[in-house]
Amino acid sequence: MDEKLQKALEFGNYSTTLENQKRMLHEKFVTDTIYFHAGGQFTINKELLNYVHMLIETGQETTVLVDDNNIPVEVEVNDFYANIADKFFTASNEYHTAYKKLQKSRSVDGLVE
Amino acid sequence: MTSGVLLFAYNNEQIDYVAQACFLANRIKQYMNLPTTLVTDDKQRVLKYYNGAEIFDNIVTSSLEQKNKKTYHDGSLSKKVLDFKNFNRSDAYDLTPYDKTMVMDTDYIISNDMLSKVFESNNELMMYSNSMDVSGWRDESEFQYISETSIKFYWATCVYFTKSEVNKTFFDLVKHIKENYQHYRNLYQITSTVFRNDYAFSIAAHIMGYVKELPGKMIYSTHKDVLHKINNINIKLLIEKQDRVGEYTLLNSKGVNLHVMNKFSLNREVTNA
Repeated sequence: MDEKLQKALEFGNYSTTLENQKRMLHEKFVTDTIYFHAGGQFTINKELLNYVHMLIETGQETTVLVDDNNIPVEVEVNDFYANIADKFFTASNEYHTAYKKLQKSRSVDGLVE
Repeated sequence: MTSGVLLFAYNNEQIDYVAQACFLANRIKQYMNLPTTLVTDDKQRVLKYYNGAEIFDNIVTSSLEQKNKKTYHDGSLSKKVLDFKNFNRSDAYDLTPYDKTMVMDTDYIISNDMLSKVFESNNELMMYSNSMDVSGWRDESEFQYISETSIKFYWATCVYFTKSEVNKTFFDLVKHIKENYQHYRNLYQITSTVFRNDYAFSIAAHIMGYVKELPGKMIYSTHKDVLHKINNINIKLLIEKQDRVGEYTLLNSKGVNLHVMNKFSLNREVTNA
């Protein structure tokens, strides 16, 4: 096979694999940011973190949050915030580490290690 | 309150669903720390050849009188028509020994503890309607609606339910839909002639309207992809390439639960595990 064509095909394989791995990493991140509390299910995002942080700043101790399935759940604000922040930061750091490893990989084998 | 997972496994001429169930039960124990009950047609065989007494919490015998025919693909170039014994999923409510149950297909590979948290939820019935194809390019519409002009698609691959009057009614309704499938097929404009539990559960969910969404998404690879290797949380797959029949791209799925529809490749990996 012509060398130029071979290189182009190899790059095609590499870029498709890279995009697929990125999508799977993101899905894992989304899965890792789901928090279960008192029978409720919460997807942790910046909005939830900010809202709960604002409740702490304004002196709230307990509140009712609506979960992913639109079910109201009563939570103790400080504990809840500590748990979601910890879970979100852990998931973000793992995502970041794995993403950087992907970016450094220059071969298909490296991408799927 | 007892909790556990319920699996249905009926072997056909070539697919060893019981071996898949054994493999999955071990992973459920490892990642979710839950017991598993197996529903099958030959308990003695499971005990004798699969070491079933050690793997499963219970083995329930339930015979099937009806069976379907279905095309099973093994990648994009190989396919076979085989028996497909899927007619008693609607009996899950009656067959489960648990107060809180998750029914799973044997081709769903568990790689994290997320679904174990569902057992602490306040919801009575949970299923997936959100899903993601690992290929990133295939048309996903058949898993969004049960037909182009019909209702939302729910996956029967993974169903969480508690023992309650309303759930008894739900499963009775699924049985009723199964028994009158031709009528419901016409009513909901389903083009496929093969009975699918996904369709029956989707119709029942539509009629009763109280189903909640399981956490995350149903992430799946189709029959056209090939499972290459499972090593703890790493699942390596060959994904069908767009517009290039018979060519594949390697993918490593790490730490996510995955629905592997290619039963041949799953069987190869499970029997080598």
